[in-house]
Amino acid sequence: MSLPSWWGPLVRALVLAGAALLAGLLVGHPALTVALVLAAMLARQQYMLERVRQWLRRDRVDLAPDAGGAWGDVIGLIGRLFRRKQYHKRRMLQLLRELRSSTAAIADGVVMLNPAAEILWFNRAAARLLHLRGRTDIGLRVDNLVRRPEFVHYLRSGEYATPVVVQASGLSDQYLHFQIVPYGAGQLLLLVRDVTQQARLEEMRKDFVANASHELRSPLTVISGYLETLSQDESIDAGLRGPIDAMRRQALRMTAIVHDLLELSRLEAEEGTPTGEPVDVGGLLARLRSDLLARLGSSREVQILVESSDRLLGVEAQLHSAFGNLLENAAKYTLADGTITMRWWRDEQGGHVAVADTGIGIATAHIPRLTERFYRVDPGRSRASGGSGLGLAIVKHVLQRHSARLQIESEEGKGSTFSCHFPLTRLVAVG
Amino acid sequence: MEAADLSHHTSRRFNEDLERVRTKVSAMGGFVEEQLSRALTALVDGDSALGQSVATQDYKVNGMEVSIDEECSRILATRAPAAGDLRMIVATIKAITDLERIGDECEKIALIASRLATEERPADHYREVKHIGRAAQGMVRDALNAFARLDADLAVRTARSDRIVDEEYESIQRQCITFMMEDPRMIRRALDIMWVVRSLERIGDHAKNVCEYVIYMVHGKDVRHRSLERVEQELKSHNARD
Repeated sequence: MSLPSWWGPLVRALVLAGAALLAGLLVGHPALTVALVLAAMLARQQYMLERVRQWLRRDRVDLAPDAGGAWGDVIGLIGRLFRRKQYHKRRMLQLLRELRSSTAAIADGVVMLNPAAEILWFNRAAARLLHLRGRTDIGLRVDNLVRRPEFVHYLRSGEYATPVVVQASGLSDQYLHFQIVPYGAGQLLLLVRDVTQQARLEEMRKDFVANASHELRSPLTVISGYLETLSQDESIDAGLRGPIDAMRRQALRMTAIVHDLLELSRLEAEEGTPTGEPVDVGGLLARLRSDLLARLGSSREVQILVESSDRLLGVEAQLHSAFGNLLENAAKYTLADGTITMRWWRDEQGGHVAVADTGIGIATAHIPRLTERFYRVDPGRSRASGGSGLGLAIVKHVLQRHSARLQIESEEGKGSTFSCHFPLTRLVAVG
Repeated sequence: MEAADLSHHTSRRFNEDLERVRTKVSAMGGFVEEQLSRALTALVDGDSALGQSVATQDYKVNGMEVSIDEECSRILATRAPAAGDLRMIVATIKAITDLERIGDECEKIALIASRLATEERPADHYREVKHIGRAAQGMVRDALNAFARLDADLAVRTARSDRIVDEEYESIQRQCITFMMEDPRMIRRALDIMWVVRSLERIGDHAKNVCEYVIYMVHGKDVRHRSLERVEQELKSHNARD
């Protein structure tokens, strides 16, 4: 068992005091000797304290005074603390510098904003993309310098979930992608990316699809026309009947695909959200129903529930095509004895159109991808039924342009419900 | 430095008022820039719908002008600003008038653009117009940047570049006259182009005015109707004394 460390100095002090007492007794002045020895010990402590103080004042760890015993320990410990702190500080500084230089070197523009949208810091790419200038622009509001109305609207809306793409200026072809990420205490991180290349490619893709489908339409009309005539020609060999019929069906499918592609590219080409006219949804659904029944030969049960007389602000032709596609799908995947229900109602969230069927349903895994172009749940079946694979993509686009959202609920074997949710601003009450 | 003046106020509310006016001017400027770029796009792309939409949006610029004007009057009446702040308010009141005029010129360009859209496009795709258009756009952008940054140097540089727009205007004018003499059927279209170019030249002048207000705001010197070389010299010696 070892004694606590402070015992050592205490024992030494006692021994010294004892020795002094003995020596004092020998000399005959015990009190004086003890006092002198204690005074000397005190003076030494004072001296050491002063040296340590001088050392700490100089702020140089390498000039530590030499000392043994307790003072040596104290000095050593202080030195260690100091060195450790310095080490951490150096590491932090180095880390910070690396972080800064890596952020500065990022190809995307990064601007840090305080809650009042004033610029705190930005990197080189941001300076280049937004024409910001070194020191002078720190502290200025970012919307005083980046003035594109779409961006200003995005910045002030406080809704940063969907980034905006803004054309830098009318006659230059530069497109910038802005995204704001809130962080810390109300601070904002503004990320800027040059998406000119992507925008150009996207433009080319749209043009290509639109032109190609347009060019394909006329030859297709000729082909299906001849096939139509051939299939009704009595003089044709019976063995060719099957192939001709198959060709005619496929030509019709191609026509449907081209039609849908053109419709999609038209929807994409239009910008913004149209105000449109008040549309009578009940009447629209009734017309869709009678069209469908006429085509299928009224074997299906199609119900319509109109629970609101409100009109829906929108473009009637587009809404017709969206609801028509939903109904078409429902009919395609519902057996002859199933039921399809179309419903139009409003509540405090807005207006809703739902198309529900008791058909085969869709597995949950497929639902998120349904609105992709040409996405097939069951390739065999959907091709056989003659769909273009673009129906739900059209629905999604139409709804987007009407600030509405599509919700899909489905259970395999039980049926599916496709609901379109329109905001209150799109409703017009009929007085 | 004047920027420091603007941000060191005993009354925080006053400071916020000034800052709000500045931001509103920037928003108005941004919208005018957008109108200009859309009007030019409508012309170059022959997009008559875009032209119409620019023309119908001009009322927004007017609304912004009225709202900023009211705010400035209110500040003058209730806060009685002095020195740099007073100059800022005065400069703002003047600058928004010029911005509103730029908006009007954009409307003119847009209307001509939607009329020209129905006609055959010229072989050079408005190369010259695009050029002077870019120059005018650049001037408006730099003038607004100088306003936002209180940057007198940029303002002087921008005001000087008005000469480029003017020269550009003269050269297109000569070109149009040649066209008209060569082929009288071109007269109508050449006249329309002349109107567009004239509007762009006016936009350059308005941008130059805004720059002059910036110089006034920062240095307290009225530099209207004076040669820019002399202004620059004076500002240099002024800075040297500082």
